[in-house]
Amino acid sequence: MRSTKDIRWSELLRKANGGDRKAYVVFLKEIAPVLRGVIVARSGGQNSECEDILQNVLIAIHEKRHTWRDTEPATAWVYAIARYKTVDALRKTGRSRLVAFDGAETEYPDDTVHDPTVVGDLERLLDQLDTTSATIVRQIKLHGSTAEEVGDQVGMTPGAIRVALHRALGRLTALVTHDRQQSTQNKTQNKKKARK
Amino acid sequence: MNTDDLITGLGSELTPVRQGQLTNGVLLALGGGCVAALASFGLFWGIRSDPGVILQDVSLFAKSVLPLALGLAALALTLAKARPAGRSRAGRAIWLVPAVLAIYMLATLIVTPSAGWQMAIMGKSITTCLLSIPLLSAPILALILLALRRGAPEHPATCGAVGGLAAAGFATTIYSLYCVENSALFYGIWYSLAIIGVAVVGAVAGSILLRW
Repeated sequence: MRSTKDIRWSELLRKANGGDRKAYVVFLKEIAPVLRGVIVARSGGQNSECEDILQNVLIAIHEKRHTWRDTEPATAWVYAIARYKTVDALRKTGRSRLVAFDGAETEYPDDTVHDPTVVGDLERLLDQLDTTSATIVRQIKLHGSTAEEVGDQVGMTPGAIRVALHRALGRLTALVTHDRQQSTQNKTQNKKKARK
Repeated sequence: MNTDDLITGLGSELTPVRQGQLTNGVLLALGGGCVAALASFGLFWGIRSDPGVILQDVSLFAKSVLPLALGLAALALTLAKARPAGRSRAGRAIWLVPAVLAIYMLATLIVTPSAGWQMAIMGKSITTCLLSIPLLSAPILALILLALRRGAPEHPATCGAVGGLAAAGFATTIYSLYCVENSALFYGIWYSLAIIGVAVVGAVAGSILLRW
């Protein structure tokens, strides 16, 4: 027996895969609160992380939408992706309790940006991204431009800019994690050397 | 970043999806891999001088057809495992292959006089068999894994392992046309061992390459 939710989600996703943007946005808006509930329940409710995980799930659904067959239930497909991404995210944060790097947040005064070492660090990280991504992060997160302005500048739609920004921040987070792991490794190695 | 903004962004990025691109990619990879395997087979191995006997002898026929059945069932299973919540009825039939093999080996064991068991098991080409099957599997497995990166397996290692079984199934079918061993006691043990080896490589590679 298929639930009414499954019939509805399958219908929306079928339309979306045919190129119907309206149906797609409706689909994402309907699955988001359901998935948020699942993710909160699974992760024991650390709320800031949950929203990040949810966004990763939505991006994964977007990027892997060709793996859904319209003869199969969309609910099972959506939940399977959410399960995979949630377990993956919780495993990662379990390994290194790291707060996601989200650029210069608006609620903090941006005095850090005037600290030359921080700017240097950030520039070094941004250099490791492709130029378009780096421009988008710089313009929106450091200079406060809107997605529309940056879109005009680099020739992308504002929607594409938002997605690109989200992915770029994800990659920056990964770079920071990598950096910290390396510096801890270096420290432990130095300690070992010191003991010798 | 606001989730609603992200949804709007994803919505404006939407393009229509081509149905079956994952399946087509994997089939293309399998085809390409088999062509590469067949080409090197033609160059370095070659078909046995009397291929006609394969159709006349039950044991020789099974030696070629069982790995082919394994390859086909594992292919169906790989395609299912590459998709979130993917199911495959044909894939579940994969258990029939080891079941039939086990029964056939048992029958062979009963028919063969116990004095001949050791000779039947050891054969003359264990090393060739254990090297050839992984070598012929390699191009097929590599291309299949590459194609599977478009997928979204819930269990990357499992997906890689069944991909390895598929690659090894087809490679073993090709190798069986060269191999002159004819006892199920030989190929039931050594072919299986080589195939399991390829599946293990597939599992390890899958756990690295197929994460998303």
